[in-house]
Amino acid sequence: MDENETSTVVLPSSGSMQSNNPLSRKLKKILNTRLENDKELLDALRSVSTFFTENNIRTRRNLRGEIERRSLLINQQFADSFSLLVKDLECIHEDVQAMSLCCKDMTDRLAATKEQTQELITQTSELKTEGKKLDLQAKIADAFLDRFQLKPEEVKIFRGSRDGNLHPGFFKVLEKVQRIHSDVKVLLRTNQQKAGLEIMEQMALQQESAYERLYRWSQSQCRSMTSDSLDINPLQQQALKALQNRPVLFSYTLDEYSNARRGSVVHGFIDALTRGKHGPPSPIGDAPRTHGGPRPIELHAHDPMRYVGDMLAWLHQASASEKECLTQLLAECEKPTAEASCKTLANLLNGVCRPLKVRVEQVLVSEPGTLLLYKLTNLLKFYHDTIRDIVLGEDNSFPLLETLTDMHVLCRKLFFNSLQYLSSKLLDKVELPPNDLSSPRTLAETLNLLRDIFDSHDASILPAKERHTDLVEVMSHLLDPLLQMCAMSASQLQPADMAAYIINCLHAIKSLLSLYEFADQRIEMLSAQIEAHLDTLVNEQAASILTRGGLANVYKLILNQENKGQLLQVPGLDRQALMNAFQTFDSIAFAPDDLILRQVTLLSSATLKEVATARANDLVVSAYASVHEAFIDAKNGYNPSTFSTKTPDQIRLLLC
Amino acid sequence: MAAGPYNYSYIFKYIIIGDMGVGKSCLLHQFTEKKFMADCPHTIGVEFGTRIIEVSGQKIKLQIWDTAGQERFRAVTRSYYRGAAGALMVYDITRRSTYNHLSSWLTDARNLTNPNTVIFLIGNKGDLDGQRDVTYEEAKQFADENGLLFLEASAKTGDNVEDVFLETAKKIYQNIQDGSLDLNAAESGVQHKPANRPGQTLQNDQQPKEGCSC
Repeated sequence: MDENETSTVVLPSSGSMQSNNPLSRKLKKILNTRLENDKELLDALRSVSTFFTENNIRTRRNLRGEIERRSLLINQQFADSFSLLVKDLECIHEDVQAMSLCCKDMTDRLAATKEQTQELITQTSELKTEGKKLDLQAKIADAFLDRFQLKPEEVKIFRGSRDGNLHPGFFKVLEKVQRIHSDVKVLLRTNQQKAGLEIMEQMALQQESAYERLYRWSQSQCRSMTSDSLDINPLQQQALKALQNRPVLFSYTLDEYSNARRGSVVHGFIDALTRGKHGPPSPIGDAPRTHGGPRPIELHAHDPMRYVGDMLAWLHQASASEKECLTQLLAECEKPTAEASCKTLANLLNGVCRPLKVRVEQVLVSEPGTLLLYKLTNLLKFYHDTIRDIVLGEDNSFPLLETLTDMHVLCRKLFFNSLQYLSSKLLDKVELPPNDLSSPRTLAETLNLLRDIFDSHDASILPAKERHTDLVEVMSHLLDPLLQMCAMSASQLQPADMAAYIINCLHAIKSLLSLYEFADQRIEMLSAQIEAHLDTLVNEQAASILTRGGLANVYKLILNQENKGQLLQVPGLDRQALMNAFQTFDSIAFAPDDLILRQVTLLSSATLKEVATARANDLVVSAYASVHEAFIDAKNGYNPSTFSTKTPDQIRLLLC
Repeated sequence: MAAGPYNYSYIFKYIIIGDMGVGKSCLLHQFTEKKFMADCPHTIGVEFGTRIIEVSGQKIKLQIWDTAGQERFRAVTRSYYRGAAGALMVYDITRRSTYNHLSSWLTDARNLTNPNTVIFLIGNKGDLDGQRDVTYEEAKQFADENGLLFLEASAKTGDNVEDVFLETAKKIYQNIQDGSLDLNAAESGVQHKPANRPGQTLQNDQQPKEGCSC
């Protein structure tokens, strides 16, 4: 309608007014408006056309109202629709509101819970820490217990079983107890003194009871060690090692051991002495080659050397075996055991002393003879030293050694007694020298004995030094009486006989002694004595030759008259006397062998015989020479040229 | 617990005899110490050594008595033959005289020991073959004639030393097994350790087989 109206308006104006007119401008503008392009307008027109069906005045007049009414209606509708929307929105709002409330509530509750759990967490973590601490403490406590207390099974081991046997782990536990006991000292230094003291006391108690148990066990073990062959149980070695910490128990245990072994050694010794062989006799008979074992030592009781030697050898072997056994027993011990070992051996071998002593003494008092006594002395000494070297003991603390020494001393004493007896017998019955002036039979016998002694000594088993001191004593025991005896028996003889006889005796002694190096001093003395007697004999011999040759008187006178003027004038020294003497001497000098004294020929030593003859001849020749010199000396007035005499050299040639 | 070094089932006693200077002590020393003793002094009387060996699984302790060869000790050493299970008779292959004296040593050994004593003849100083004075064959024949075991050995190099002691022990052990050596005889030279010792707590640590105890 607007359009139509407008067009009607515009049309009149188009011709009448130009552009400057606002109306025209408006018209122009309207005309220029391109209605087809105005969508809004088109829409509006379209919608108007829907209800504006009748174009009449009334309708035209009512159009505006109509539109307004329609617009109102539409608005009404719009409002209605929106009110629904609002309602919905309100609904939603409510829901959201509720949700918000809910959320808030939840947040609140969460906050509350959070607040509550916070405490719980703190508590838990506290508890956790505490738990950890406690764990640690438990560990420490465990470690502590492990270190300072015994475990139940260890205690069980420690207590042992009812039959008194020892568990092999015993020593480990004992070691632990000892370790604890010493470790506890550290505790005492800290502020844990009470615990320390308690543990210490506890361990000390444990230790004591353990040692006691150990002691009882070893004691019973030792008590049972009586068999011939010993096998040392390793446990026992350990037991003794442990017991070393308790010296008293240690020594008691060893005492027990030595008592047990002592019995067994004595038993073995007696068996070896008297039985030799156990078991049934051999069915083949008792021939020496078929009997099963060595015969009893006592079978040889008739042979003192063998009897005593076998006994001592048996003891030597027993000592060595026992020593070895004991060394094994003490092998594990850490502290030195030499003293204890020696003491134990001493006690152990104590038992055989009596049976040995009785038997040896029996042999000794049965007067086996000087030589045997001597040999036995050496044998006893030898075994004393041998056994001493094995057991490393001293006499005063070792009964067996003491016994051996006692017997050695006794035997030695008996030996020297026997020598004494022999020598006193020598002096009691002094024989007259035999006719041939040889050394008497008793001398030869005694010297034989001496030689046997020396030789047996040489064959003996002692070191040379000890041997020689003994021998010097033996010598002085026998030789002095011998010499005395010779001197006594010679006392009745003529000087020449005596000299020859004594030379023979001394020479016999000397030739024996010269075999032994230790007799040097004696030999020297004897040589000097022989020399002295030889001088006597030489003088006798020379005198005898001079006498028989008629020179003796002349010679004596000449010696007396020396340097006293003309000898011719001296009574007995006249020319005739001298000439006679020369003649006689010449006659005997042709047979010098006849001139030798019987005493000289009876000298047993060819050398001495020669020496005596030669020296006597020297004397004779020198006597002859002085007489001859006096004779040919012109001042003596013998007128030597008218009488031919032999020169001293010629005489020497004749005599020798 | 392992068997200790001292556990053994038997003890055999040996004696070593022979002339002076044939090397008896050196043989013993070589056997017990596994060393050669160059300047060995003369033995005084009798000396003593031990070693544990094994024969047929049995531990055996040898107790060896080494005697002095010097004549002057002969009386003393004779007392040690008693109860020897084995006698080692030694001569020196480089010195005929020591071989010639064997019969006298053998007489002593036969008279003073058990009939079951195992006698082993040893020609020592086998290392000095160049100076040999006694042939192997000759000594072997002597040993065979007299029923002796025989080996040449050298204490210096150790050759055969071990064998000599072991063979002797084997023979003795064999004698025990076949019953010809009576263990019950005192001083058979063998001591047998009883299997069950009272108070022994270590079970099964060894079970020494009961030797033939006829």
